[in-house]
Amino acid sequence: MTRRAWLTLCAFVLPLAAQQFQFHLEHLAAKASDAVDLSLNGPTLQFAAKFLDGDDPDEARVKKLITSIDGIYIKHFEFKREGAYSPADVESVRSQLKAPEWSRIVGISSAEDGENAEVYVRAENKKISGVAIIATAPKDLTVVNIVGPVDMDALAELSGHFGLPHLKESKPTRRM
Amino acid sequence: MDWLEQELKVALERKAPSAGFAERVRAAARAPQRRWWKPRPWMAAAAMLLVAFGSFEYREYRGRQAKQRVLLALRITAVKLHYIQQHARGSSEVHQ
Repeated sequence: MTRRAWLTLCAFVLPLAAQQFQFHLEHLAAKASDAVDLSLNGPTLQFAAKFLDGDDPDEARVKKLITSIDGIYIKHFEFKREGAYSPADVESVRSQLKAPEWSRIVGISSAEDGENAEVYVRAENKKISGVAIIATAPKDLTVVNIVGPVDMDALAELSGHFGLPHLKESKPTRRM
Repeated sequence: MDWLEQELKVALERKAPSAGFAERVRAAARAPQRRWWKPRPWMAAAAMLLVAFGSFEYREYRGRQAKQRVLLALRITAVKLHYIQQHARGSSEVHQ
């Protein structure tokens, strides 16, 4: 195999080694009114942790959480009109999250506002080694992959921070 | 011999230097050379300090950028988890 072929192979394999599945959503960036593409590998997370303020409650929680994980990969798109992405786009991600590696732990479907969300966990040797979140709404699409031994309790606790109300204090806004 | 050759002959003919020419050349060679600047120890120290400060500032800048990206990533994750948890507690359509 020539050197160029090896380099090409590495260019495809290395991102895969970091992320646990491929997003295949790059084509949506051109249609989106707002797009966020975050690829934070382990060294970047550890570097960022040094700059998080341990005295700030939110940042302290984040610091604690990211010290144990190996990467965070997010693609988030917001669109001005509905139908900018297709069910096939979502399915191309979902189809990779299959047993036995992945298992879906929760799925939310709201017929009222058309929002759907799913959480998958990846387990290796009976330990969580990754989390995937697919969240769709008529005008936005978010895919998250958190790589590594994720502390699910710490992750769940995040929802009470960043200006979001803590769930103990909040009530569901709608019943379906 | 035409006029051009004549002109060249006059222009290029050997001439004796003026009196004291050799002495003036030797004196100029002996005189210390004047440079518009001299390397000084404080210049090296200042340069090192500048490089160290620049490196520190760049590292801080990169760190702040990384921190903002991490906070954004976890904020997006938190918003989605919040939505899921809220509905998982209150929805009858939750399926596991």
